[in-house]
Formats: sequence, C-alpha cells, structure tokens
Amino acid sequence: MEDKEILEKFANPDSRNLAFNQLVRKYQQKVYWHIRKMVIDHDDADDLTQEVFLKVWKNLENFRQDAQLYTWLYRIATNECLTFLSNKKRKFFLPINDVAAELTEKIDSSPYISGDEIQLKLQKALLKLPDKQRLVFNMKYYDDLKYEEISEILGTSVGALKASYHLAVKKIEEFIKQD
Amino acid sequence: MKENHKHIILSDLPKHNVYEVPDDYFDRLPMRIMERTAAAPKSGWVSVQLWQNLRMAIAPLVLLLLFVGVFFFGLESQPEQAAFNIAAVSDAEIVDYLTAYSTVESNDLAELNTLQKQELASEFINVSAADAEAELEYYHLKDTEY
Repeated sequence: MEDKEILEKFANPDSRNLAFNQLVRKYQQKVYWHIRKMVIDHDDADDLTQEVFLKVWKNLENFRQDAQLYTWLYRIATNECLTFLSNKKRKFFLPINDVAAELTEKIDSSPYISGDEIQLKLQKALLKLPDKQRLVFNMKYYDDLKYEEISEILGTSVGALKASYHLAVKKIEEFIKQD
Repeated sequence: MKENHKHIILSDLPKHNVYEVPDDYFDRLPMRIMERTAAAPKSGWVSVQLWQNLRMAIAPLVLLLLFVGVFFFGLESQPEQAAFNIAAVSDAEIVDYLTAYSTVESNDLAELNTLQKQELASEFINVSAADAEAELEYYHLKDTEY
C-alpha cells in the first residue's frame, strides 16, 4: 500500500487502526534494523522500536505530507537512538569508550548475533566511531540511502555527510587493520 | 587471521547483517504495538502532557506574577501620588516654606533665565526682574567649571 493511501485511511477514524497496522507492517523492519545496529541489544531495540511507533501514532496527524514518510520515521528512530545512548552514558557516568566497550561485549555475548570473524570485527570497529558518524555509516553502507535522504533525516548538509562517511570508512579500515 | 586483516578494503567485504531476532518476531510485533496504541490517548495528547508538566509550576508562577505586578504597580503610582500631594498645597504655603527654609543663591537666579515668564513669575520668589537680570550679568557662565 502506498504511503499516501495509508495516510488518507489514517485520517479517517473508522479506518485509522487498519491504516496504522499497515504502516507498522510496512516499516517495522527498516525501523527495527536501523535501531538495532545502533543499540546492538535486541531487547533495547525492541523497546525503542515500540516507542518509535507509539510516537508515530500520536503525531501522524501532524505529519507534513511534503516530506517522505520513511524519512520522518527514520528521523524519529534516530532521535530515539541518540537519546537512548546519551542517557546510557549519563545514567552510569560512563565515558564514551566504556559505553562502546559495553556494546562490544554484547556483540560477543548476545544470543541473537552471528557472523564470521571479519563481520564481527567490522561491527566492533563501528562501535569505535562517534554515534552520529556511526548513524551516517549505517544509513549509507547498510541501508543504501542517498546522501540527500540522510541529509533530510539528520538535518546535516550533503557535503558534511560525504566527508563524514569517507572518514568513517577510513577509520573502520584502520581499526580492523589494528586488531 | 590477523595477517588477512591488514589489507581489508571495506568495499571488498560482502554486506552481511550479523544481527538476528527471535522466531516470528516481526509477525508478532505489529500486534504488540497495536495493543500499546489502544492504551495511548489519541487526541489532545500534547495539551494533556503539557498540563501535567506545568501543573506543579503554576502556584509559584502565580505568586511570582503577583509580586512582579505589585512591584510595578507601586512604581507607577508613586509619581502620580507625589503630583497629587503637591497639587493639594497652596502657593502661599509653598512660598512660606521656601522663605523660611531655603536661601536663593545666584545659581537659582541664573536658572531663571531659561524659564518663560509665564512659567515662573519673578514675583513668585520675591525677586524683581531687574535684580534677576543684574545677578545674571554678574554670573559669568564661561568661567564656571562643570
């Protein structure tokens, strides 16, 4: 179902629940995987995904239809991730590296992670990047989003995103080489 | 293995999602979300949230506004009160007061030159116009240091 049709149905109180159910089914995987790559742990990703869709439910009426629905969803999910990681650092008085160490430990211990050695090294190298640079890398490398779309989601210039992605790739290759 | 990593180029690696989810997770997730939306308020949510957040701040805010209002009202009414008090005093009483407690100096006479006759008559301070002019001539403004 097209986004426009979902939004039209959502505007009608009689078909609101049906429309929202279709929206969730259409975008749940994109939202979940975007969050999961940032927070690593499945349970955290599950909680945040539900929070994202609750926010969507409460604010979809105010959604400006001149923007793409999925970039709006990505933006909400991105904000949830950054808030979650920020709270994690503040709550436990942990410096950035310790949160990265905690997430790295989850890569080794989580039951819902599998992959060969080089793939796991890549994930651990990613955790050494600053959160926003990691977001840019994930959206470009894994989600194949265009720089213009990432720009709309993060509110950053395309030039800055290109530079950030290029730098991230260099850092990751260097991190893997050092390990 | 470490040797193999020395010349890794990211674009050469196959893109692989290492993360997994429990069985049927994405089949059950929409239902779990819909259950939560059923409990969530649909309209006026923002105003309810705002009211809940501001509710505790209202009492001190009202008190603060009251103090600020009283302070500014007091400031504004003071000049009006002073003007009212002066207006209630007769000219004769003012002259008597000035005669008894004030001495007119040459500075005061110099200032008179800047006033219009209708604003302050020379007889009001018991000084003739000629005396005032003479005093003014005697007072050399150019030599005065400010």
